[in-house]
Amino acid sequence: MTGRCPLASNVPTGVQPEVVAGGSHAAACGASVEPAAGNPPIIVLESVSKTFDAHGHRVVAIDGVDLRVDEGEFVALIGPSGCGKSTLFNIVAGLQDADSGGTIRFGGERRKSTELLGKVSFMPQRDLLFPWRRVIDNVILALEVEGMSRSDARARALPMFAGFGLSGFERHYPNQLSGGMRQRVALMRTFLFERPLMLLDEPFGALDSLTRAMMQRWLLDVWQLHRRTVLFITHDIDEAIFLGDRVVVMTARPGRMKLSVEVGIERPRHADIRTSAAFLEIRKTLLAAIEEESMKSFLSESV
Amino acid sequence: MTRSPFLRNGLVQVAPLLLCLVAWEVLARIFGSTHAVMPPVSTILLGIFADGNTLLRSFGRTLAETVLGFVPAAAFGFIAGALFARVRIAERMFFPLFLISQTVPVVAFGALVIIWFGNGIMSKVAIAFYLTFFPVTVNTLRGLRAVDQDKINLLKSFGASAWMLFWRLEVPHALPGIMAALLLGVSLSLVGAIVGEWFGATVGLGIVLVQAMYAEDMVRLWGAILLCGILGSTLYGLVAFAARRWVWWGGEI
Repeated sequence: MTGRCPLASNVPTGVQPEVVAGGSHAAACGASVEPAAGNPPIIVLESVSKTFDAHGHRVVAIDGVDLRVDEGEFVALIGPSGCGKSTLFNIVAGLQDADSGGTIRFGGERRKSTELLGKVSFMPQRDLLFPWRRVIDNVILALEVEGMSRSDARARALPMFAGFGLSGFERHYPNQLSGGMRQRVALMRTFLFERPLMLLDEPFGALDSLTRAMMQRWLLDVWQLHRRTVLFITHDIDEAIFLGDRVVVMTARPGRMKLSVEVGIERPRHADIRTSAAFLEIRKTLLAAIEEESMKSFLSESV
Repeated sequence: MTRSPFLRNGLVQVAPLLLCLVAWEVLARIFGSTHAVMPPVSTILLGIFADGNTLLRSFGRTLAETVLGFVPAAAFGFIAGALFARVRIAERMFFPLFLISQTVPVVAFGALVIIWFGNGIMSKVAIAFYLTFFPVTVNTLRGLRAVDQDKINLLKSFGASAWMLFWRLEVPHALPGIMAALLLGVSLSLVGAIVGEWFGATVGLGIVLVQAMYAEDMVRLWGAILLCGILGSTLYGLVAFAARRWVWWGGEI
């Protein structure tokens, strides 16, 4: 299966970087382009900005971000450090309001950023497990808050444990688990909070590279099974290509969209695609873009 | 000799205590011919048994005063701390009052409390209460305030109400700190009860202590001290047990 961004139909084969003209908001896989058929995109950001007031001087964290995620799509977002990824995360999660001027559409309807709280199931970098709750009671947290009885919620979660590689650990406490397992518990909690969009912020950032590679393959399996729409923030180019239907690159601060690349690699994807020609081709394009931006932010910091 | 680790651990901890008691017994017998300063342990224990009824009543009375002061103080301290954590204006208005109240040493209030509450059980309960609530308030306030903002955001995204946030996240987060305050508080409550009895009472371990002092009855004095120690360590042990059994996640927050 190829990437399912509607524009993919216009793209003859696999790799097709689309450069977003600086300042133009007619973005790649564009916000202004209506999807070819069926449902509206899950989320569309059009020229969304966020400015902070830091001790009297303005800091522009993101400046006119355009982003669109279609139903069932897995979009990976990468950018140099300090490009405003966390700001974007907070806005999409509904934790922070964007500046006035931009537009956010969620499921076709125009929304304020803070109205997204509760409509997006998000997972921050840290697992945020509650140490006083057993694993099973950590994963059902959202269901419980929504009013489901504890026993019903547990019954619903139990069959998922095998798929998340956590069989036999239902009654453990988080402090008895390894880092990778804790991360899977947090992911399971996110999956059980069923919302149209899943927003993941470097969920594997803290893991060692072997565990991380395993978790990536595992995430794809789970995603294949549950078919959720995912916006996945990372700073790891390989991870972005391996997981995503589409990879979006942000510029150095102030962050905006630089590039959107369709990853036309067939699913299910195996570990060995990392060395395939298509993969390396995309990697080259992304690396060049990211390098350029990293250099910019490095230079601006050292001045 | 000892097979189970439990037994061995117990022995390791109890042996020094037994050794001290033996040394006490021996030294008191060698040097203290008149029992004037340091009666031997055996004499003290015999004294306690001989005076069993009175001492048991005194023990029960002081225990009651301590518990009746401690439990409401824990509840009040928690509620005040929770209120201060939620309502900032309440904290700004009343926390200074709490603080000032604690700067006056409790003994300064002793006579006043006896006049207000009489020389029955209520005056001791009041003093125990007064000594205990403040650490609970402080630790509740601090614990509730220190909750990870990311966890709050996560629960809010699930649609949690303020009430759910409080009971599912903030209270469990604050509990280890609150338990630490309760450990301190239960010892303070006992001090409050004993000191309260000194100002005026008819029964209680504090009264036994004062009477023995005036009568220079060393055996009875030491008996009362021993019982105060047993009372204090039992109450402390109970709270510590509850903390370890039900609130064990302090190290992870």
